[in-house]
Amino acid sequence: MIVIDKNKLTDLLDALNQSYQVIVPAKSADLTQFMPYDAVKEKNAEIILNENTVLSPKWLFLPQSEGMYAFWAKNKKLEIVDLPSDLEKMRIVFPVRHCDVQGIACLDKVFLDERHVDGQYLEKREKTVVMALMCNNPKDSCFCASMGVDRAHANNTVADVQVYDLGSEYAFEALSDKGQQAVEAIKALGSEKTVAVPEVKEQKIKVNIEGLPEKLSGMFYDSIWDSFMFKCIGCGTCAFICPTCYCFDINNKIRGEEGVKLRTWDSCMFDEYMLMAGGHNPRPGKKERVRNRFLHKLEYFYENYQMMLCTGCGRCLRKCPMNVDIVKFINQANAK
Amino acid sequence: MKVANTDEIKRSNDLEPMVGKIVEILEESTDVKTFRISTLDDKKPFSPLPGQLGMFSLPMVGEAMFSVTNQGENYIDMAIKKTGELTDALHDIEVGQEIGIRGPYGNGFPLDYLKGKDIVFIAGGIGLAPVRSLIMHCIKNRADYGKLTIIYGARSVDDLCFKDDLFNNWPKVENCQVYVTIDRPQEGWDGHVGFVPDYIKEIAPNPQIAIICGPPVMIKFSLPALSGLGFAGDDVITTLELRMKCGIGKCGRCNIGHKYVCLDGPVFTLTQLNEMPNEY
Ligand SMILES: Cc1cc2nc3c(=O)[nH]c(=O)nc-3n(C[C@H](O)[C@H](O)[C@H](O)COP(=O)(O)OP(=O)(O)OC[C@H]3O[C@@H](n4cnc5c(N)ncnc54)[C@H](O)[C@@H]3O)c2cc1C
Ligand code: SF4
Ligand code: SF4
Ligand code: FES
Repeated sequence: MIVIDKNKLTDLLDALNQSYQVIVPAKSADLTQFMPYDAVKEKNAEIILNENTVLSPKWLFLPQSEGMYAFWAKNKKLEIVDLPSDLEKMRIVFPVRHCDVQGIACLDKVFLDERHVDGQYLEKREKTVVMALMCNNPKDSCFCASMGVDRAHANNTVADVQVYDLGSEYAFEALSDKGQQAVEAIKALGSEKTVAVPEVKEQKIKVNIEGLPEKLSGMFYDSIWDSFMFKCIGCGTCAFICPTCYCFDINNKIRGEEGVKLRTWDSCMFDEYMLMAGGHNPRPGKKERVRNRFLHKLEYFYENYQMMLCTGCGRCLRKCPMNVDIVKFINQANAK
Repeated sequence: MKVANTDEIKRSNDLEPMVGKIVEILEESTDVKTFRISTLDDKKPFSPLPGQLGMFSLPMVGEAMFSVTNQGENYIDMAIKKTGELTDALHDIEVGQEIGIRGPYGNGFPLDYLKGKDIVFIAGGIGLAPVRSLIMHCIKNRADYGKLTIIYGARSVDDLCFKDDLFNNWPKVENCQVYVTIDRPQEGWDGHVGFVPDYIKEIAPNPQIAIICGPPVMIKFSLPALSGLGFAGDDVITTLELRMKCGIGKCGRCNIGHKYVCLDGPVFTLTQLNEMPNEY
């Protein structure tokens, strides 16, 4: 492994920034999120390494609003054209915690499903080097270990480089070819050493998900939903900050005879999400919508892809204004 | 399900339609028109199975999912009911209009399972559109299927779709019976009057498979009528409609439990429906 002193962080980012567009977690407008390193320098924003960001890095692969194609229409004529790629350089994102690496693995299942591979998503994935950071300072609301995330080794279908926090140093281990190239670019800043994988601090929250999808498959009509629904105000915060929520809407940006077709984040927590002709809504109330969100995360996705759609990042626990709590839900479901 | 592994980076997106054009428009009823769609070079946009779907768009206005009700050598047909923003705009377009089209989507009817069997088709209103794709297929491959019975109802004579098929073409098909009903008596109509579920009981069809599609109330009262006639869960096949955006199982819009209507449906047997949560 290549071990680099944390004092050299700026040198490290500058070195990478020569051949990559570097993305880092930083604080901007009071919100911690992943930002281009160039923008961080420009705005004098603070790089945040000691806690997980409020916004997840999912926008790197599924932007909040993304053009899909452009069109031009006049009278009876129509033209549809591809948009040019918005990625000029390879990107590198450093550091991504294991819960968020797992979040990308979830998105991969959907957008790289071989029945319909999403070309735009694939391009972003292939042009991004993910540097995963083993984090040893979990928050009180983190429960990734319970959700099956390996805290010592990031999901290696996604992580290109594994980074270990050794206290005053970082250790870098390449897991893929593109990861190897990235490590080459910073090698000169440190030295080759063998290091032991550091100990991780236990997380406060522990939940048991063994057999949960099977159990939930029999609980669709259970009374448990009545106690969870009434608090939710359908604001959609939970979906927007979640690293795995991927629902999108399709809409237009039109100017004169031209337009761009966009896909934008959406949420099944919004009341008009499924509204149909004549006012019929298959999920008319909060109960149905909260139920769909939780069951999608903990049962439906598992049935389709053998993986939970919740990584235990704890963001929704921290940010839901009404304290709708997925951990509490799992515990109550288990107790049934 | 496996995850794709490809070195070739494409910008292309399955959500991007191809440009097609309208080559013919037929007025079916007061609020339904059939649009015949070809590619710009006069080819068939895609070759759907009976029951499969297509996303039809006027990009300036919007995009929506419709059943492909029929197809020919170099075209597909979609029958579209005027219900809102996009469908209103579609009803105003003329032959020659260039449009966006993508597909085919969904599973379609289980042709292997239907082969050799007697089939009763039950439809109400625009619900005949998806059912018709299968009727047309059975007629084109007449020897592969048994007796065909078609039971169709609409509110009034003006609301009946595909009149040419109902009154001219289908009655001439070998071993094919067509029953048409309207909800209330009307001057000039000497056919059957009454609702579809009652008409089913009256006709008491005895075939092996029922294909049913129509407004929710029609389905609700037809299902007991069918089980009264001895149809079991696997014998009753229906197609569902939910709000859709992507059509390829990604936008999340159309799930019922872990199934996506756009990908795993829209065709389900009654047995399958009974196993799914009642969120449709
Ligand atoms: C699998 C499937 C097959 C279909 N086949 C046909 C067909 O063969 N012929 C046909 O005429 N129609 C069909 N539809 C319905 C058609 O998609 C809707 O009528 C159309 O989307 C309405 O679009 P609009 O822009 O005109 O209406 P909007 O202005 O968008 O909306 C009008 C009303 O329709 C609702 N709505 C929007 N999308 C849908 C939808 N997908 N289903 C039901 N209500 C919706 C809106 O909530 C609103 O209340 C099918 C739908 C699905 C999902
Ligand atoms: S669960 Fe909480 S964050 Fe999510 S929509 Fe409801 S109130 Fe908003
Ligand atoms: S559901 Fe909540 S805890 Fe789970 S991944 Fe999403 S934001 Fe994180
Ligand atoms: S329409 Fe998008 S998932 Fe079915």
